[in-house]
Amino acid sequence: MDDVVMMNAVSKVYGKGRGAVAALREVSVGIPRGRFTAVMGPSGSGKSTFLHCAAGLDTPTSGTVRLGGTELSGMNETRLTELRRRRVGFVFQAFNLVSSLTVEQNITLPLRLSRTKVDRAWLREIVARVGLTERVGHRPAQLSGGQQQRVAIARALVTRPEVVFGDEPTGALDTMTAREVLALLRETVDGMGQTVVMVTHDPVAASYADTVLFLADGRIADAMDAPTSDKVAARMTRLGAWN
Amino acid sequence: MLGLVLTTLRHRKAGFAGAFLALFCAAALVCACGALLETGLRGTIAPERYAGAPILVTGDQYVHQDKVKKGKVKHKAKGLAERAWLPAATADRLRAVPGVRSVVTEVTFPAEIPGAAPESSLGHGWESAALTPFTLAAGRAPSAADEVVIDAATARTARLHVGSRVPVTSAVSTGARRVVGVTREALPHQTAIFFSTDEARRLAGRSGAVSAIGVFPATTDAAGRVAAALKGTSATVHTGADRGRAEFWDAEKARIKLISMGGALGGTSLLVAILVVAGTFALSIQQREREIALLRAVAATPRQIRRMIGREALIVSLGAGALGAAAGPLLALWLRDRFRALGALPSTLNLVLSPFPMFAAVLAAVVAAWAAARLSARRSARIRPVEALGEAAISRRTGPFRIVAGLAFLVGGVVLTLVLSSLNTEAASSPVTMLTAIVWTVAVSLLAPVIARVTVTLLGPPLRTSPIGGHLAAANLRSRSRLVGSVLAPLTLLVGLTCTILFAQTTMGHAATEQANAGTVAAHVLGPKVPAAAADALRRTRGVTAVTEVVHSTVRVGLENYGVQGVTPTGLIRTMNLDVRAGSPARLDSGTVAVSETAAARLGVHVGDQIRMTLGDGTPFAPRVVAVYGRGLGFGDLTVAHDLLAAHVDDPRADTVLVAGHAGADALRSAVRPYPGVAVLDQTAVTRARATANAEVNYVAMGLIIAFTGIAVVNTLAMATADRTREFALLRIVGTTRRQVMRMLRWETLVVVSTAVALGTVVALVTLAAFAAGMVGSAAPYVPPVTFLGVIGTASALALIATVLPARLALAARPADVIGSRE
Repeated sequence: MDDVVMMNAVSKVYGKGRGAVAALREVSVGIPRGRFTAVMGPSGSGKSTFLHCAAGLDTPTSGTVRLGGTELSGMNETRLTELRRRRVGFVFQAFNLVSSLTVEQNITLPLRLSRTKVDRAWLREIVARVGLTERVGHRPAQLSGGQQQRVAIARALVTRPEVVFGDEPTGALDTMTAREVLALLRETVDGMGQTVVMVTHDPVAASYADTVLFLADGRIADAMDAPTSDKVAARMTRLGAWN
Repeated sequence: MLGLVLTTLRHRKAGFAGAFLALFCAAALVCACGALLETGLRGTIAPERYAGAPILVTGDQYVHQDKVKKGKVKHKAKGLAERAWLPAATADRLRAVPGVRSVVTEVTFPAEIPGAAPESSLGHGWESAALTPFTLAAGRAPSAADEVVIDAATARTARLHVGSRVPVTSAVSTGARRVVGVTREALPHQTAIFFSTDEARRLAGRSGAVSAIGVFPATTDAAGRVAAALKGTSATVHTGADRGRAEFWDAEKARIKLISMGGALGGTSLLVAILVVAGTFALSIQQREREIALLRAVAATPRQIRRMIGREALIVSLGAGALGAAAGPLLALWLRDRFRALGALPSTLNLVLSPFPMFAAVLAAVVAAWAAARLSARRSARIRPVEALGEAAISRRTGPFRIVAGLAFLVGGVVLTLVLSSLNTEAASSPVTMLTAIVWTVAVSLLAPVIARVTVTLLGPPLRTSPIGGHLAAANLRSRSRLVGSVLAPLTLLVGLTCTILFAQTTMGHAATEQANAGTVAAHVLGPKVPAAAADALRRTRGVTAVTEVVHSTVRVGLENYGVQGVTPTGLIRTMNLDVRAGSPARLDSGTVAVSETAAARLGVHVGDQIRMTLGDGTPFAPRVVAVYGRGLGFGDLTVAHDLLAAHVDDPRADTVLVAGHAGADALRSAVRPYPGVAVLDQTAVTRARATANAEVNYVAMGLIIAFTGIAVVNTLAMATADRTREFALLRIVGTTRRQVMRMLRWETLVVVSTAVALGTVVALVTLAAFAAGMVGSAAPYVPPVTFLGVIGTASALALIATVLPARLALAARPADVIGSRE
């Protein structure tokens, strides 16, 4: 199968000596192209570290990460940045936008930083897809939380990345708004063939994915295809997330 | 990229306002200093009195010396303190030069009329009227000894006309004279009183010498022939605008002083600017860390972030620099007026305002901002993109570079302090004192986060005794040691610089005053401008046992300046105690000198040795040392006999006269009644006035830098407080009252201010101890407690206002709205 991200025996240890904490232990996994993958696990299971290593935001202590066929280990920060801006999109939990820039400027920020010409037709299309056509001239402070996350998704999509990473993208939203955002992510996978990887602790959010990876204690404990929120919740309970 | 920079600037106006203000002040200061410097370098003085003489010949106002440096001979010339006179025979030599139509000589001496303009008032012989030229509007030329002609302006202000009788005071005689003529012309900056030729020569007191010679040529090449004819003599030839310099040669001294002061002031303000702007920039970047982390995560390379910060700095500095450069000339004009009022800038020397200082100011602002941005961008490059992901506040350890740099500056501070403690001339000591204080402060600023942590650990427990405000303050200070550090730096700079500037002056002034007070053992002091005849009258007064006339001047030993006093040797022991360490000042005569200990050490001389020097009017003098004394600060480095020095100064009248004996003040007053202006003075007032004369100029100049630092303090604190709106809202929501938040802030400010005061005081004391060790000879600076408390009070008030006002604004919004709004 065609994997966008290949992680091979990736470990990440924070600190040194006796105080060392292993956040990831020998994780080997592939993220398939054109699919929506959710990563779940209790607090401290290594979810965020997994995402950081997979996206080239952080370098693993050992093991290798390949992103779209490129080996990440041994790249310096500048090369990593250049790789990220070509191949990766990000949606964070909050504080996604530069408050001084308008919606359109926020969306085209990665292009501007890489000095790439903006493809106006593509920009119009993704703005339409996230439903912000009327709001391109607004500033983030004038938008609701859900609208801000939709701007972040549009920004993640504008470079036509190989993969979009989301770190609890609905964590700061109410249930209704969260659903809209998740549906939008789902739509990018189904309608545009985009690959999405999302870290979450919400079984409902995970149920929008094609596959759910369960992390526990720095290891991949389980994987589940065609998840429902009940099945995910049950699995999480067994992992000891809600004791 | 530029678009991004511009929108960020427009959106984050408040954050950049601090840097903008700091750069604006720096540019204005640099521009004003540049104007002073340029005035010093290129300032021209139009001739007044000698405007009518196409060629002017005067004595040489400089001491010359050839210095051999690395095989190259370098010619150095330094200005004299008094007017250099010419032998009258020079005029005869000039009359013989072909192409010269006529030659006019002149003698000049101080002479005053009551009620006339207080500007320099000079007496001349009427034969020299053509030099201006002066012509008669009424009356006739003076011929008898008691006849005078006065200029039109003086006649108007003193209400004199032909036939009036007026007392004219001069060194040689005081008495009523008859006004026989009034001129048509007047001079803008001086009063002119004309006597008959013979009377003028008598009053000038220099037989066979003239103060200037005007040459009226018949041919155009006469100036060259005059110069050729004078080759080998000490006479100098002036034409055109150069004649102004020859006429107002004392303005030359002011010019040189402006060059050094403009340079020192400009350099100091540039250093302070870099320090302040770096602090402001670092703070604004600290406040934007999340945004920068987001940019990094989205796709900006560290280099792009650095460039972005660099461009922000460039744009802000160009704007602030241009505005500051526009404000600079106004500041320069204000400084000119202050300096004129203090007598440090002669009214004849016009301020030169050209575009150069303005360009320099913009350049300085850009350089300061660039340096500051480079320093702050180092920090920004360490922001990792992952930090955009988390919700938690970002904390970071103090970088090793910062600590190493801080330690390097500490070492620099130690070295400079040691150097400073060995400097014993004011010219060398003053700039090094400022530099030492600044280097210490830079070290403190760099190590501020570490210092802040230590302070919080020390002050935490006592703070926590206040249950809410103090407790919260302690927690805040602990978790935000970096922020505390960035606030600490400008406050320390403010306290340290202010104390150094103020107390360097008081230390010098106090030491001089102490010595002068302790050394003046006479019962009474009279002054100012006491003619010899008045001193004789005092000597004849019953009950007077000794009268010491004191004149002051400056001589050059080699090229170096030494203050000198001329005293009457007879009875000196009853009026002045110089704290003699070796020899006896009673043996002062026309070929001897007494030397202060510091000067003796600097010159390497002992009793019996000879010193070669040039007196104020250019006369070479090689006296033998007959005494070494301790009170050099109070009385001057050199002491010679009064009669000798009085013959080589412009105004031979005594600045002060010390009188010993049991005669009362009233008896002395009646003895000097015929001499207008002479009065019995308060001894301590005299010494204090002399000590503070120079200090005030420094206060004005350095006060600007202090004000600048004060603005930086307000700036930084306001920026830091305004950024905490969200935190205050959170505190309010969880139940903290407005009053409790304010109390917490006051506790925080108290801790920061007391730390800054402690650090600043230590910086100042260490610097001043070294300064005092070099200049006064003991490492004990003089710190008047009231002034010190004033400095602390002002710094605390500034800090408190700059914290409380923005906090009130931040607390004004409804907390729920603040929390609800997103970044």
